[in-house]
Amino acid sequence: MTRCVLVTGAGGVGKTTISAALGVTAAQNGLHVLVLTVDPARRLADALGLKTISNEPSGVPTVENLSAAMLDVTAAWEAIVRRHAPADAAERLLVNPFFRAIADRFPAAQAYAAGEEMAVYLESGRWDLVIVDTPPAAGGIDFFAAPTGMKQLVGGKLLRFLTGAGMPGRRALYRVTARPVFRVVDALLGGPLLEAIADFLLDLRSMYDGLAARAADIERHFSRSTPIIATTAEPTPLREADRFFSALPKSLPSPELVVFNRVLPDEWANGKRAPNGLDDSVREVLKRNLARWSDEVRRQSDAREEFVAQHRVGLARVPWIASPPTDVEALSALIAAADGFEQLDLTSP
Amino acid sequence: MLDRKLLLVTGKGGVGKSAVTAGLALQAVRRGKRVLAIGMIDGGGLASHFGVDKLGYQPAEVRPGLFAMAIDRGAAIDEYMKLQVPVPSSIPTKTLSNVFGAVVDTIPGVREVVTIGKPIYEVWAERWDLVIVDGAPLGQVMSYINAPNTIEQLVPSGRIREQARRIAETLTMNSSGMVMVAIPEELPVVETLETLAELEIEQPIQVSAVVANRLLDELEVDLDGVPPGAHLDAATHHRGVWASQQHWLEVLPADSLALEFLFGMHTPSEVAARLADAFEDLP
Repeated sequence: MTRCVLVTGAGGVGKTTISAALGVTAAQNGLHVLVLTVDPARRLADALGLKTISNEPSGVPTVENLSAAMLDVTAAWEAIVRRHAPADAAERLLVNPFFRAIADRFPAAQAYAAGEEMAVYLESGRWDLVIVDTPPAAGGIDFFAAPTGMKQLVGGKLLRFLTGAGMPGRRALYRVTARPVFRVVDALLGGPLLEAIADFLLDLRSMYDGLAARAADIERHFSRSTPIIATTAEPTPLREADRFFSALPKSLPSPELVVFNRVLPDEWANGKRAPNGLDDSVREVLKRNLARWSDEVRRQSDAREEFVAQHRVGLARVPWIASPPTDVEALSALIAAADGFEQLDLTSP
Repeated sequence: MLDRKLLLVTGKGGVGKSAVTAGLALQAVRRGKRVLAIGMIDGGGLASHFGVDKLGYQPAEVRPGLFAMAIDRGAAIDEYMKLQVPVPSSIPTKTLSNVFGAVVDTIPGVREVVTIGKPIYEVWAERWDLVIVDGAPLGQVMSYINAPNTIEQLVPSGRIREQARRIAETLTMNSSGMVMVAIPEELPVVETLETLAELEIEQPIQVSAVVANRLLDELEVDLDGVPPGAHLDAATHHRGVWASQQHWLEVLPADSLALEFLFGMHTPSEVAARLADAFEDLP
């Protein structure tokens, strides 16, 4: 069965780099690997041979058995609509301005699209391992909440208000909008809009059964996946990582591993004497520089220890390198210089 | 910059957006201003920089002259309804909130207008010298800034359209500005430039400042002859990161405001106080 590693965490902590680096390493170990990414930095995309965004995985040049795909949300949504809605409703939806705005801007829609793509790849049987770099707007638990969120949107809380519980269809609409509460909403939005929305929601509702079944598949894939959390020792991403433990739905596996990125060497903190035989001025600069970096080392290690002790989770550490990796050699070197990833077992299918 | 009535702070996740917001707010208070700081998406960051556990929807005084609050979607909707619509007493508030909540969740732009509406009312209320907002991250901020336009396109009439136009007007005024925080690395810089270019076209809000955060200083020392060990490694690391930062710094606008890297800061309140010091020289 295809294994799935979900790399989650706040934006800006290096999720995409870590996902790519793990993919390169696993492929070099002989696994057939797909890295599904969302919005990589230009140079990282180049390194993976990703010229344009495309939901079709392409082979990474110079790494055998490694493929990468970059999520195209618009195309993914078009496919989702055609898959789940009857043909006439699908045509109307794809040109509907509400739908376009939801598909482009609703964070749960982006995360849900990533989830459907993930499910397709996992079920294809083409890979031993699929690594998912979760969408930035839905870094933490939002990614896992997306199937339910989309089901609710498509199922239409608003539509239920508009048509009543029995889903009687278009005709009931006009009776219901005569209710006082809708007159108030009408005053806010202008009369014809509520009807236009109701029409749109009825089309959207036609996707419900297909989408609900698929959402259940995606949630099943989640429950069998290995989520890992990427973070740095900075307060903002750590708060996001905390939320991952406090707010994750119980049906999902608890993360096994937290990956701290940009880790500085512990040795810097052990108050070493400055080397002898140097100019006093040079010695002074070097001493002062090491002193301030060792403050940083201690701050980092305090943050790491507190997090790991609190959440009883495995720890992997990725060193802080001056310029981020931009080719497969550097990606592979990054994991070689890291520790803790043996807990993930990137060697056996 | 601190003379404006409204400052909206944005930046890619993890660049220190909340810290910069808190630092600017503290500096404005030191200048005798009455300040309201608002956490727009997640009040957690702002709360920690002010040394409080959490922020509520009602402004609370966290320092003399400095008030802080976080936007809570439900409360914002209820307040919006109260302010905007004469609701007949026959309709239970809860029913109306439920229905309008569903509208907000479904119609693009409405959620954003309700959210960004709150800081704007506070500006209109003229209770504060400065309203400063720890805003949406860079990737989402344009959907808030453009929300009034989205509404104008999708909503043919009605009060919300009228109000969206007033919000848009307030954002374009000289007394409103956006502060964009970046760190000198590829994605934060590239995304900042993309957003600047987008803002350039329609100019929905002026850009007051671009902040380049966490800059290392140049380590001026000759490393020739320094034996291997922690001292050499730390110096080499420092220089490597510095060089990479300089590359991306050059790409940012030349008048970007530089903030130095703060070593070994343990608490978010320490960070905010240090940034407030750094803003001492702001005009």
